[in-house]
Amino acid sequence: MNEGPDLAPAVRVEHLTVRFGARVALHDVDLTVRAGEFVALAGPNGSGKTTLLRVLLGFLDPDAGSASLFGTPVAHLSVRERARRVAWVPQEELVRDDIPIFDYVLYGRYSRLEPFGGESDADRVLAMQILTDVGLADRAEDGILSLSGGERQRATLARALAQDSPILLLDEPTSHLDIGHQLDLLDRVRRLSHTRNVTVIAAMHDLNLAARYADRIFVLSRGRPYIDGPPSLVLSEDLLGRVWSVAADLRKDPRTGTSYLVPHHLIGDVASSAIPPDRGPVHVVGGGGAASPYLRELTDRGFRLTTGALHLLDSDTETAEALGIPAAVEVPFAPLGDEVRAAHRRFLASARAIVVAPFLVGPSNLANLDDLGAFVRSTPIFLLARPPEPAWDFTGGRATGIEEQLRQDGARTMPDLPSLLAALESALGPSSKPSSASVGTAAG
Amino acid sequence: MTEGAPGIGAGTPPLPETRTRRRALWALGAALALAVAILFSPVIGSVAFSPWLVLRIVISGGGAIFAPCAAGTVSCHVATIIVWQERVPEVLLAVVAGAALGISGGTLQGIFRNPLADPYLLGISTGGTLGASLVFVYGIGEADANLVLPLFAFLGCVATGGVILLAARGRYGSVETLLLTGVALNALLSSILTIVLLYNPIASLQVDFWLLGGLGNATWSVDGVALGVVLAVGAILAIHGRELNLMQLGNDVAQSAGVDVRRVRERLLLFTALATGTAVAFTGIIGFVGLAAPHVVRRVSSSNYRIVLPGAAIAGAAILLGARDFSLWVLPLTPLPIGIFTSAGGAPFFLYLLYRRRRVTTMGGL
Repeated sequence: MNEGPDLAPAVRVEHLTVRFGARVALHDVDLTVRAGEFVALAGPNGSGKTTLLRVLLGFLDPDAGSASLFGTPVAHLSVRERARRVAWVPQEELVRDDIPIFDYVLYGRYSRLEPFGGESDADRVLAMQILTDVGLADRAEDGILSLSGGERQRATLARALAQDSPILLLDEPTSHLDIGHQLDLLDRVRRLSHTRNVTVIAAMHDLNLAARYADRIFVLSRGRPYIDGPPSLVLSEDLLGRVWSVAADLRKDPRTGTSYLVPHHLIGDVASSAIPPDRGPVHVVGGGGAASPYLRELTDRGFRLTTGALHLLDSDTETAEALGIPAAVEVPFAPLGDEVRAAHRRFLASARAIVVAPFLVGPSNLANLDDLGAFVRSTPIFLLARPPEPAWDFTGGRATGIEEQLRQDGARTMPDLPSLLAALESALGPSSKPSSASVGTAAG
Repeated sequence: MTEGAPGIGAGTPPLPETRTRRRALWALGAALALAVAILFSPVIGSVAFSPWLVLRIVISGGGAIFAPCAAGTVSCHVATIIVWQERVPEVLLAVVAGAALGISGGTLQGIFRNPLADPYLLGISTGGTLGASLVFVYGIGEADANLVLPLFAFLGCVATGGVILLAARGRYGSVETLLLTGVALNALLSSILTIVLLYNPIASLQVDFWLLGGLGNATWSVDGVALGVVLAVGAILAIHGRELNLMQLGNDVAQSAGVDVRRVRERLLLFTALATGTAVAFTGIIGFVGLAAPHVVRRVSSSNYRIVLPGAAIAGAAILLGARDFSLWVLPLTPLPIGIFTSAGGAPFFLYLLYRRRRVTTMGGL
């Protein structure tokens, strides 16, 4: 706890990927939240909001990437240390025993107590102070089951605040509340975040509420960051259409000057917001930018990719990096070295299908084609058709010969992208939904 | 880092105090009542002695502190032996075993967030029975039956607890999975027990009798061992009230508030198995105490586990001691197994508490 908020951001998430079996819940998410910020996480059901919160709480270990709180990775913090940095307000807390509200709030002091020690008067005074802040001071001695839904959520907020942690995570905190209590709770959260300098990250369904209260909205779509910025920038008709499949009008509230969306009707299928299953790995062989369009399209359609062997500074390498695709990479202009070729062969060996982009083949990357021969009988290989012009074989015919041999051994030639997709679908199993070609890439 | 929230102390309403004081009174009253019951329980037994004589013998420590009898009174010396060597150890064993079962039941109900959890439901006790039955069936260590039988029963309990513990280690060991693991284990152990006994009719009779539970094995050395284990284990269980309180709100909430749920759960399961194992080892299977004692505390006092755990120990001790006294009072000459009385006498009282107009809403609305 020695690093102050000014030195490290309250929350930093880098290249975070979480999978549940074959499903990708979060894919390559980056998020930085400064101390004292109020960030709303928005996105349709199943877009990964809760998963992101659960990673920050240490409930889930990421499959790749990292999450840190004030500069320390979540995984390095003990449960108690973590509780001293992050408090949590769940959607609805399970309370079965009719414990006095005051005691319930005091439970939140647990991580601040000495081991085997009890609550001091200072703890009790703080609990009472917080109860006053959430407007429940006069109910302190009542049983918690006597509270209404809105009051109950305020009590839960009080319990979380009693933890005195600099970060507060809320998971759809208002989804069980009526509109009046929604505004009341979020008002209090925002006020407390300002007076106590608490960093707030709240998963929220309601974009309009998010726009009204948050400093920033971070939109997730199918486990990937879609857009991140101040509400005025994020809220758009386009956003609701692409992420929620809902047609909407953007209006401005003449009284507050804030934007709000008026939803009209569904466009297409809501299920399209669901995270597609993890399909792959598919290995894409390319170079010189030939693989880039395929890397993008296949990533968008939920295929997990690997690529190589490429050279550093190649535009395919840059594309792979931007999309978070593992690649076997060699230094520029050199022939592929043993190490890179070994990495390339490992990718080939674990691939369930191999796609060969129409790349230019010269002596320095001939090995890419050469290595395929060992896999052609075990793994489906798809060669994209090459146009007659321009010339692509700069190896004196050896590359052409290898491709011819591959075809004879079972590799299939794909005339274009749609036929490649169809072939991959049938090779790896269909996706959960028909991919809508009209919707462009999410992360842009 | 955000300590020193603004305005602490200024204009804060007065703190709620009355509740704490009322709870403290309850605890004090219950402990006092138990102490009195312990002092007077040795009066009850198959031979009638005057209460004052018995009290004198008990307070004199069986003659260790002062001589309870005038010189030459043979009947008094006989009374001293009966009271001090037979009845007092029995009373103490009832208290220790009852406390162990009560606090075990309270802990398990807390871990599993289930009002029906107790050492029996989870198969811990059945493991003990299986251990004991091996002794009867194979005649293991007949010469040291007083040592071997408790040891096997104890090991049976602890081994079963260990299996549940292993299940708890699994990454996806949710509370429900864990509870069902215990229930399944119980069924499995019961069927093994049935098969073992089916082929050993004589052992079966012995096991049946042992199953009914009793305080007949009580001696000072048994009490010493049991008291030592149960005091140590019970103290460890009792200081986990805060953790269990938070775990009632769900494991995720508890974890977010700083409770290392998996570790706490493992620790508590282990110590529960030790406490139950000790009780089962020396008294056999005495039902109902572990289930009812925590509920009695919830009904009359609080659902706060910091109260429930020590309270369940006191209530468990009281129930078992009451059953012992009652059984000897009704049938002083042919004492029936005490397990019959805990269930037969405890059940109606328990039902009365359940259906009485509620003062405290308890676990799961039970």
